[in-house]
Amino acid sequence: MTVLASVSLATFLVTGLAATQFRSQPLASSNRLARDEALRQSVNQLSDQNRALKARVQALQAQVKAGEDESARRSSAVQQVKALLDEQRAIAGLLALHGPGLTILLHDGVDPNDPADRSLGWTVHYQDLQDIISLLWANGAEAVAVNGQRIVPTTSFHYAGVNILINNANRLTGPYTVTALGDPSTLANGLGDPDQLAELKSRSRIYGLGLSWLRSTRLSVPAYDATFLVKNAQPLG
Amino acid sequence: MPNHSADRIARFQRLIVASLIGLALGFLVVLQLRSQAAVARTLASQDNTSVALLINDLNRANNQLIQQAAALSQQETQLRQALTAGGADAQAISKELQTLREVNGTTPVHGPGLQIRILGSLMDFELQDLLNSLRAAGGEAFSLNGRRMISSTSIVSRGNTLLIGGQAVSAPLVLSVIGDPEQLEPAADLSASSLQTRVQVDIQRKSDLTISEVINARPLIYAQLGR
Repeated sequence: MTVLASVSLATFLVTGLAATQFRSQPLASSNRLARDEALRQSVNQLSDQNRALKARVQALQAQVKAGEDESARRSSAVQQVKALLDEQRAIAGLLALHGPGLTILLHDGVDPNDPADRSLGWTVHYQDLQDIISLLWANGAEAVAVNGQRIVPTTSFHYAGVNILINNANRLTGPYTVTALGDPSTLANGLGDPDQLAELKSRSRIYGLGLSWLRSTRLSVPAYDATFLVKNAQPLG
Repeated sequence: MPNHSADRIARFQRLIVASLIGLALGFLVVLQLRSQAAVARTLASQDNTSVALLINDLNRANNQLIQQAAALSQQETQLRQALTAGGADAQAISKELQTLREVNGTTPVHGPGLQIRILGSLMDFELQDLLNSLRAAGGEAFSLNGRRMISSTSIVSRGNTLLIGGQAVSAPLVLSVIGDPEQLEPAADLSASSLQTRVQVDIQRKSDLTISEVINARPLIYAQLGR
């Protein structure tokens, strides 16, 4: 069903592209090359800007934290609020954590090149990653990261064409490594349950799609590389 | 003679160190070139629609990051001014605490948004995709049938039963989402159009929606602070 949803989405995007192409003037091949190059240059420029902005956000976070630490030293009232703030920061994923847990490795299988099989079942989809992460939360995971990107309360997964994006347009590419902190046995038993991830496990058998996990006594997950803005929700009362 | 020999040894050591640095630099340059080539290759192999959609997402994310930086800068100025005046600004810290409680789902909230009523049951991936779309469209707080949800709330199908945070929820499903309705509605409409082949979906704009349920944050038992 997950694959079906992906195929539907892909069909929708391809139809959209076809409609756009239909409306646009045919381009000479030299113009097409120039346009393709310009598009890719835009991605590189925007990615550079994205990295620079994250570095700026992180530098400002450090300055804010220094200001808060100094304020807490001066006022006991601030000190009390700051203790609560640090607790919420840890929950929100704004602090790096370490501890025992599980590393899950996932990679694409082999394209069967079979005209009768257009399921794309051999590739890892973002829904596969999300299914695994959801199962990890259900089995007591305390913190999760994918390819070094921390999963935070606002994280959403989606496709931008063939790209899997999470957290401020971070592009995830395979092979994928999911790191979860928690009780390694409980986490591993959750993934090993034959009733769970049944479709993914079956694709792993059919297409050689890689799915394995490893228990560890010490793993670490990084802090979220940005911050949160709330514009519409207001505290009640 | 001993001095002569010590000079030779020192020269030899310098030569080895210089060679090692050269070797390491060469290795790094090759590594860098290889990784750049890998990035370029993955981007070059993509169709133009994918690249265009990526540009759209990067633009949106960068705008978000600019807003985040502006908010942090303002917060830092407020803190610094209070410290310069010889005091401490509790207000700036309390505001940040409130924001994080809203993000973590640990406090009741209200605000504009949508109420989405689904007359039928959903599979886990269908609900995940609906939430993905609404979060990407700026959804800030969610509750489903009276259950507060954040991204770490597990959504698992067991047979035809949908489990949210380990608890079964049954149809009809009522999803409340707080955010800018102008942005949320197109995202909800798009998701609804794919769901409506199977279940009836009703979307209503609300000028003030209340989500009073909270998440009881689990204490960290295995995870510890620091890398």
